Amino acid sequence: MKTRRAVILAFLVTAGILLQLLESFVPVVMLVPGYKIGLANIAGLFALYAYGTRDMVIVTVCRIFLAGLLTGTLFSVGFLLSISGAVLALSAMALARKSGLFSIYGVSVAGAAAHSVGQVLAVTAIYQQYFMQMFLPVLLALSIVSGLLIALVTERLLIRMRHVIGRTQPGRN
Amino acid sequence: MTKWDKILIVCLMAASVLLIVPILQGQPVPSQAVVSVRNEEKLRLNLAQNGSYSVKGTLGPVNIEVQDGSVRVTQENSPHHYCSRQGWVNSTAVPIVCLPNETVIRIQGESGSEDTVIQ
Repeated sequence: MKTRRAVILAFLVTAGILLQLLESFVPVVMLVPGYKIGLANIAGLFALYAYGTRDMVIVTVCRIFLAGLLTGTLFSVGFLLSISGAVLALSAMALARKSGLFSIYGVSVAGAAAHSVGQVLAVTAIYQQYFMQMFLPVLLALSIVSGLLIALVTERLLIRMRHVIGRTQPGRN
Repeated sequence: MTKWDKILIVCLMAASVLLIVPILQGQPVPSQAVVSVRNEEKLRLNLAQNGSYSVKGTLGPVNIEVQDGSVRVTQENSPHHYCSRQGWVNSTAVPIVCLPNETVIRIQGESGSEDTVIQ
């Protein structure tokens, strides 16, 4: 791994952690439990488009563990929900990108929807309760909105950061 | 935005609408009220049938009335009469609790599902 890329990935992890912490301070919509815009995914999506699948996984997993450490929720229930959502979201985003059918918007929406599904599955498994499934339709509908929003931000960011990424060789996955 | 993006978004919208349908149908219908004194089930009332009942609480008789799918405590012996003031209840999530009489009335749905608290 080139030094420059390693540094940029580290910056992305930091930005992701900050966004995740910021988001946890602002209760966006308390209407639906478990709903978040997913600002932290900007870092992951950025890494996916700038460098590739492997780097997205590195950025997102590091971000989740470090943010868990910083908020003191490492290995708690919320952390498990976060991880299970992330695993599905990462797979969905990687597959959507590999398929070549989707633009950044489709990839982001697929990731957001998969994150909701992962969270609901985790809640069902941990609490052995099925009531959380009542929120799945709402979460899915909202994840379309937040996915598009994140994609918009990331697209702008990628254009503005072009000169930074450009000098390293962006490996095709 | 490519064509496939739009297809994906429309599919997700359709999925969320379709998922709502079985959930709305699967709501438990309040059907029974379970009256328990000191954690012991004393009565199981059918909410479809109107009537008045009485159980022996710690401080005396507790009179319960069922009407039109709702249940209430009409008369009981306690310092503040919280449970008779509470009035009619027809939700599975709201119990009637009369602590001095150690009497609890819970409404159960057809499927017998219980509510939960997530911390």
